[in-house]
Amino acid sequence: MTSLTQWKGHAWIALVVRLYLGGVFLAACFHKIAHPGSFAIDVATYQLLPLALVNAVAILLPWTELIAGASLIAGVRVKAASLLVAAMMISFILALVWALHLHLEMSCGCFASKGAAEDPISWRTLLRDGAWLLMSLYVLAVDDRPIGLERLMGKRRDAHA
Amino acid sequence: MSGPRAQAIVRALRDAALMLAVSAAVAFGTNAVRGDGLPVVQRKDYEILVPCEETNGQTTPIAPNDPALADKATLVVDSRSKQEFDAWHMPSAINIPFDYLAATSEVDVKKVLASRASRVVVYGDGDDPDSGRELARELSGKGVRNVFVVTGGAPALPGGPRPKGAP
Repeated sequence: MTSLTQWKGHAWIALVVRLYLGGVFLAACFHKIAHPGSFAIDVATYQLLPLALVNAVAILLPWTELIAGASLIAGVRVKAASLLVAAMMISFILALVWALHLHLEMSCGCFASKGAAEDPISWRTLLRDGAWLLMSLYVLAVDDRPIGLERLMGKRRDAHA
Repeated sequence: MSGPRAQAIVRALRDAALMLAVSAAVAFGTNAVRGDGLPVVQRKDYEILVPCEETNGQTTPIAPNDPALADKATLVVDSRSKQEFDAWHMPSAINIPFDYLAATSEVDVKKVLASRASRVVVYGDGDDPDSGRELARELSGKGVRNVFVVTGGAPALPGGPRPKGAP
């Protein structure tokens, strides 16, 4: 098991996965940050959170997506970022299962706010989120020496020492 | 679980908590200074349009000059025929012709549900029965919330068409 996770090729595969996941999260956060009111309605539409928490989640979530996405791309605190991404994906999946269970005809609100007719939630949305969850878990599990800024800075420090 | 692995997990958890704290600081700080920031605790229910189980068909009358008709959060629906709609309609209106003999299509109902509007205002021909009132009741019965119907229909609206039979 250990030798499986220590294969050197993981760092390069994980880099591709990180760039993809980071890009997805950056793309997802911008509209939400720019239009918090619209995103709050998206959150409320799930009818999952108590009203008092809807705005707090709508304010906090996009910035967490931004910081986690940027960290994945830059290669800074990659384990922590992938942990946050995995936690977010699990919560998104639970929310989607809830909405599908209630037969809510709505958009997932994952990216730019769209109407249910343009971007309806479905089991395909769930599969997509499941794939992203697996990617984040992969990075979390195997990317022990992530290629990126932090590693580069570490090498420089070592060279100067 | 042994030493280095456990340490790595603890470090990841600690860093994740730190990232979350930084995100929270930036998020709530930005929200506090921006003009369109949200109240952190929402007290008034969001008006969301999703299908609901009760099908009571309730609608509320609204005056033709009510400012809500011009509100961006309002979806205005014209229930008259396509020809009447083409001849005149409110600039923001969409056309869902009401058919007394057939149910409104699921596509049209979904179009309304997907609009994300916080209220739906329907106007019809203003006749008795009024197609607007009938469509509004049908939409409400199919799960659309906050459905209003313009009293007097299109002829009562500013700049609207003449009532049928008028000289």
